[in-house]
Parts: sequence; C-alpha cells; structure tokens
Amino acid sequence: MTALLEVRNVSRFFGGVTANLDVSFSVDQGVVLGLIGPNGAGKTTLFNCITGFYPPSRGEIFFEGQRINGFPPDKVCRLGMARTWQKVRPLAKLTVLDNTVVGALCHTNSVPEARQIALEQLRVVGLEKRANVLAGGLPIGERKKLELARVMATKPRMILLDEVMGGLNARESEEIIGLILDVKKRGLTQVVIEHDMKAIVRTCDRIVVLNSGEKLAEGSPQQIVNDPRVMAAYLGDSGGAKA
Amino acid sequence: MAVFLQSALSGILIGGVYALTGIGLTLIFGVMRVINFAQGDLVMVGMYCTFWLFVLLGIDPFLSVVLTMPALFLLGALLQRTLINRVLDALPQNQILLTIGIGLVLSNTAMLVFTSDYRILSTSYSSSSVALGVIRLSTPLLFCFLITGVITAALYWFLVKTDTGHAIRATAQDRDAAQLMGVNVRFMGVLAFGLGSALAGAAGALVAPIYYIYPQVGGAFTLKAFVVVVLGGMGSIIGAALGGILIGMSESLAAVYIAADMKDLCVYVIFLLVLLLKPSGLLGKSRM
Amino acid sequence: MRTFLPWAVAAVALALVPLWVQSPYALHIFILLFLAIALGESWNIIGGFAGQYSVGHSAWYGLGAYGAFILLQRKAIAPWFGVWVAIAAAVIIAVAVGWITFRLRGPYFVLASIAVAEIIRLAALNWKELTNGAEGILAADVPPLRLGGTVITDWNSKIPYFYMGLGMALFCIAVNFLVKRSKLGYYLQAIREDQDAAHSLGIPLTLSKNTGLAISAACTALAGGFAALYIGFIEPQGVFGIEVSIQMVLTCIIGGIGTVAGPVIGAVVVVLLSEALRASLSSAHLLVYGVLVIIVILTMPDGFVGFIAHRLRRKAAA
Repeated sequence: MTALLEVRNVSRFFGGVTANLDVSFSVDQGVVLGLIGPNGAGKTTLFNCITGFYPPSRGEIFFEGQRINGFPPDKVCRLGMARTWQKVRPLAKLTVLDNTVVGALCHTNSVPEARQIALEQLRVVGLEKRANVLAGGLPIGERKKLELARVMATKPRMILLDEVMGGLNARESEEIIGLILDVKKRGLTQVVIEHDMKAIVRTCDRIVVLNSGEKLAEGSPQQIVNDPRVMAAYLGDSGGAKA
Repeated sequence: MAVFLQSALSGILIGGVYALTGIGLTLIFGVMRVINFAQGDLVMVGMYCTFWLFVLLGIDPFLSVVLTMPALFLLGALLQRTLINRVLDALPQNQILLTIGIGLVLSNTAMLVFTSDYRILSTSYSSSSVALGVIRLSTPLLFCFLITGVITAALYWFLVKTDTGHAIRATAQDRDAAQLMGVNVRFMGVLAFGLGSALAGAAGALVAPIYYIYPQVGGAFTLKAFVVVVLGGMGSIIGAALGGILIGMSESLAAVYIAADMKDLCVYVIFLLVLLLKPSGLLGKSRM
Repeated sequence: MRTFLPWAVAAVALALVPLWVQSPYALHIFILLFLAIALGESWNIIGGFAGQYSVGHSAWYGLGAYGAFILLQRKAIAPWFGVWVAIAAAVIIAVAVGWITFRLRGPYFVLASIAVAEIIRLAALNWKELTNGAEGILAADVPPLRLGGTVITDWNSKIPYFYMGLGMALFCIAVNFLVKRSKLGYYLQAIREDQDAAHSLGIPLTLSKNTGLAISAACTALAGGFAALYIGFIEPQGVFGIEVSIQMVLTCIIGGIGTVAGPVIGAVVVVLLSEALRASLSSAHLLVYGVLVIIVILTMPDGFVGFIAHRLRRKAAA
C-alpha cells in the first residue's frame, strides 16, 4: 500500500534563508501525524509547500501517488487535501453558514446542496446555533471550530491542521481534541501542528519533529517523548532568544 | 545625434517635475501607506496660486515657489489632520477612494471659482532659449529643472541630516518600532502629507509658465506620478527621482522617434510592464 | 420570494410612469437614473462582490459605445444589434486584461486598471481611421425599431429610451441577484474577504475573478451602447475618461458596496443631487461625488445600505 501523502527530500529557501532542508516523511491512510518543533522550525512553511502556497525549492510531494509539486492551492484542495490556518482567517463579512458553504462548494455546483453539507458540518462542530452570525464577530474558540467545519465541508481525504488549539482555554482545547479523535474514527488522515505535547500524545499515532528546518526525529509518541535530542531542541529554544 | 540629445535633454528637464510630484507621492506612501490620488490636484492648486500671484502681484513664477510651498504644506497638513488621519487603519481601497474624493473636491472647486477656462502664464522669458552647442534648451524648463534639483537636494538633506528627518524615515521603515522608540508617528504623518503637498505645490509653480492652467490639469499629473513611483519602487525617494527622469526621457524620445501622439501610450505601456514584471520597481528594495 | 416583491412592485410602478409623466425633462432624469443604476450594478459584480476595485471600467463602457456606433456608421447596423458585437469585443479584451492584471493585489490592481483604460482611451484617440479621433462620432440615421413589419418607434420621443433604460437597469439588477446567489457569487465574496483562505478552500482565483469581470464588462458595455444611442454623440474623453470609471465606483460606495440595493440607492442619491445642483454647479457637477464620497468613507464605510442595516440591527438587539 502506498502512503496517502509522501514528502520526499523537500527543501524551501527564501533568498539566503533556509526554512526547510531535506525533509522526508510519509503519512499512511487513516493515521494522525503530529508535526512538532520549536518556534521557527519550519512547520508552517512545510504546510505551505504541501498545500501549494509556494512550491518547494527542491524535493517532491506525492498525494495518493500523484506528484503535486507546483499545483496551485485550489487544485490541491480539490484533490482532497485541505488545510486550516494558524492565524484563523474567517471570511468576516459572510455568515458562519456561508463561510462553510464556500468550502462545501468545492465538490458541488448546487448551492442548496452545499448548504446541506455546510449545516451538517456546523452541527458536527457545534456551531449550528451560530449559523447566521457574521463570522467576523465570533470569539476565537468558535473561529477555530469554524475553520474546522469549513475544511471538513470540502470533503477532504486528508486535513492539515495548523495549531487549531492555539490561544484556546482548557475546555475549548478539550472540545477540539474530541473533534480530532472523532474525525480520526471516521478514518480521515490528519497532519496536526501543535505545541501542546499532551494533546499531541493523546491524538497522534506518529510524530515528526522538526528543528531549524530539518527533520530531527520520527517515531511513535512514546519514542519521541523519551528521545533526548527532542528534549534538547526544546530546551535550546526556550533558552535562546525568543521573539 | 543632435535630435537625440536635444530630445533626451528636454526629457530630463521635464522629468525633474515628474520626479518632484513622484517624490511627494512616495513620501506620503512611505510614511502612511496611503496612495494619494489627489497629488495631481495639489499640483493644480500650486499652478493657480502661482498664476494669481503673478497676475495680481506681479511675482515671478519661479520666485513664488517660496510662497506656494508653505501654502500647500498647510493645505496638505490640514487635509491629513482632518480627513486622511481618520482612515489610516481602513482598507487601502477606502483610503484611495477618500483621496479620489478630495481630488474631485479640489478640481471642481477650482472649476467653480476660476471657471474651466484655459489660462496661460506668459513671462518675458517664456519663449526664450539657451544654446548649448548644437542643442537649444528652453529657459523656463532649464530654470524649472535647476530649482527642482535644489528642492530635492534640500529635502534629501532634511531627511538624512536632521532629527525630524530621521524620525520620518524611521516611521516609514517600521511604524510600530518608531512608535516604541518615542516617535510621534501621527505627527510624522501630518508632516509627510504636508511635505508631499508642498512638493506638489512646487511642481505646480514650476510648470505654471510651461503648461496650460485649468481645473482638470491635475489628473494627468496624478497618473504620471504613479508611473514614476511604481517605476522607482513605492517608498523610495531616489527611485522616484530616477523614475521621473526616466519617464520624462522616454516620453520625449517616444514623441520624436515613434509619434508625438503616442508618447503617453508608451508611458502607460511601460507602466503596465513594470507593474507586472517587477512590481517592487527598479529600486524597490532600497527604501528612502 | 419576500426579497423580490418590493423589486417587482417598484418595476411595475416605474413602468407606469410615462402614463402620467410626459415632461421630457422628467423622463430624462429617469433615463439618467436607469443608466447610473445599470452602471453601478455592473461595477458591483467585480468591485462589490469580488472586492477588485477597478477604476478602469470606462474601458468597457467606451468599447460598448464605440462598437455600437462604429458598426452603425460603417455597416449601417442598428445599434441594438451592433451592441452585442461590442459586448463580445469588450468581454474578450476584459478577459485578456484580467488574465494579466488579476495577479496584482490591492492598490496595484487599481493602478493597473487605470493604466489599461488610459491605454484604450489613447488608442481610440489616435486610431483616427476607425474612431474619427477626438472629433468623435455623431449618430446619424439611426433606423426605426421594427418588430415583425411594424415600426415600434422612430426614436423621436424619450419614451422608448425610458423603457429601454428601465429594462436594462432591471436586467443588471437581475444579473446581480443571480450572481450573488450562485456558486460564483460565493467564490467572489470569499475572494473579497480573504484571498488566501479562498484559495485554500479550492477556489480558482484567476478563473473566478475573470468570470466576474467578463459579466461585469458585458453589462457595462451594454450600458455604454445604450448611453451612446441616447446621447447620440461619443468622443474618447467622454466615454473612456477616468471620470466615467470614478462615477461608477462612487455610485456603489455611496449606496453600499457588495449589496444589490446599494448601487440603486447610490444612483438615486447621486443623480438627484447632481440634478438639483446642476444650475449652481454647471460643469463642476462632480463636486457632488467628491463631497459625498468623503462623507460616506468617514462616517459610514459600508454605504447607506450598510448604515441603515446596522441601525436596524442595533434597534432589533435593543
């Protein structure tokens, strides 16, 4: 069986700065992969490369066996790989429902049908009561849920979640963890960027650790937690100059 | 060869004026990130000031620069304080629309007060010229270029050597950092808009003896100022100076070698090409 | 259904106006109003829904006007047939231009749209064999409008223009409704709100914007052809000048951008105020636009419609 997503020797340079260097890993169907690493390790850059926001400088990316380097983001999404944003990006002047409808229109031309799909996804994340509120007026916790609903509405085979728990309180994080596990139960493949190690260990099957743009380690949560190099990288980060 | 030199040189001379309006625009953009669509209309106000100073008080147009510049500075500072300041955090499109509105008010008020008649400011030296080997340069254009050079040099000195100049440049480079370091960024905005308007006023005074003066003359100057600024790189003063001279030159060369009617067309085609191929402009990276 | 009822009532009421109103001046005002509505609604598709603030729509307006008149002058084709050729030309050029300029964002797109319109204006000014240059084209020998064998009108009164204008305005409003409720409408609004987020949700940016622009340019060219027929004379500055584009944009801004009712309200305000002040302003009539847009941007950035909706929402909440 081939992996759903395969990242092969991907590097990304910005001028003289190296954001990712020679990163390789693969994600099998149904797996939840955690992508962790200190600030500035190149996690979001890697997401941007995978989802087509900028092509990798070197290396290749395969989705379901198809090489997707240089595909624009909309094409990547229609192929079945959808992402959320670290800094949430609601379509502020559209309602919560319409935000989700936009996602649902990815695979249908019928607006009424898209509305059905959207309502369903809003129910899943528990936002159905807020359907007619303008998305710009939502508090942060609900915005994160909206991102999730919107992405799920595109009927993806794989989702990439960029810090969907960032800035949330304990109760809200717990809800999101529940949603991730729920999605996992339905067999959907996920790549999750997260800072909270406890959440990572609870949700992920495998973990990839990035440090200064390079892959530092890969393994099961148990292996990673006990890996001294990972500890060192994190300690180095908190001891170093933090912005 | 003489034809080439002649047209290239006159192009450079008129390019000085484009540079002046462009520098004003780029200064305002640099400090406030607002694209001022009323820039050309401020040039128009400068032209009328110069015209009336000449007709009513007999003040030479090139001398009147010392009066139009402060007057336009005040007008610009006032516009910034009362209107522009209130949309600094709005969508860029709304900022543009506000300055378009200001431009419409300026040009249409001029139409109400001065009618839409074309006026000509003619001085004793209006049609005289200076011989330079085989080429002849018009005296008013030559004066115009020299004064432009002096003003640009003075502005550059102000920005590089004085404390206030440093503060303006700091604001342009990083608004938040400048604020943290105690720069009054709001005041710098007023100052920048005032200075940008004063430069437009100076350009107006300098071209008053050369162009027809009428209420809608500003539109052409606004468009040309954009071309100059985009060519040089938004926010770059040296870029704007260079862009002005380049545009003046390509205009006058296109008029000679392609067709007189085609010169504006050439300018806009160059503009589009720069926008599409190198939107950061020729000197986009070096700022101020 | 409840959304359409007021529109249908207004349309029927307007259609009955010529039964009571015969004054050519009053009909003239209505025709100007219809033209302003059609132009505002046309711009609204790309500017309001998609947030692409083109200040170069005079290009499509002028192409509609010139296309219709050149075919009339050269080939004796009636403008109401010729305008469709003109619309096709406008759409083709618009899509070609869009393909290049839509990669630009924000103010850079605004500047590019102005440059394109200026290039087309200068081309019209200088291509004298085709356009007659700055002298412009006077409509001569407009044939009577026939249906079957019977002459419906020979264009001697304002009434046929009134109905034609009303039909055109309603058509543009209907197009706005259709676009807004379609997949394209969702896509354009998503692009307006956040281009990157839209892209990540599977929206093809350039294709969507170009489709919006094509529809917008087609409606604008239609209005341009109508305006040329009504005024009977066109010249480059009058139809391709930046003032035309600015009036289209400001009509929408003043009324409320991205809503179907906005351009209508904007057109009513702007046309009535301009007419009321015509005597005292004469050629400075754009002063009305300037003052209104300053007031609107500073005090109600979502236009009259947004302002009223906000008020209502507050009242409902209180």
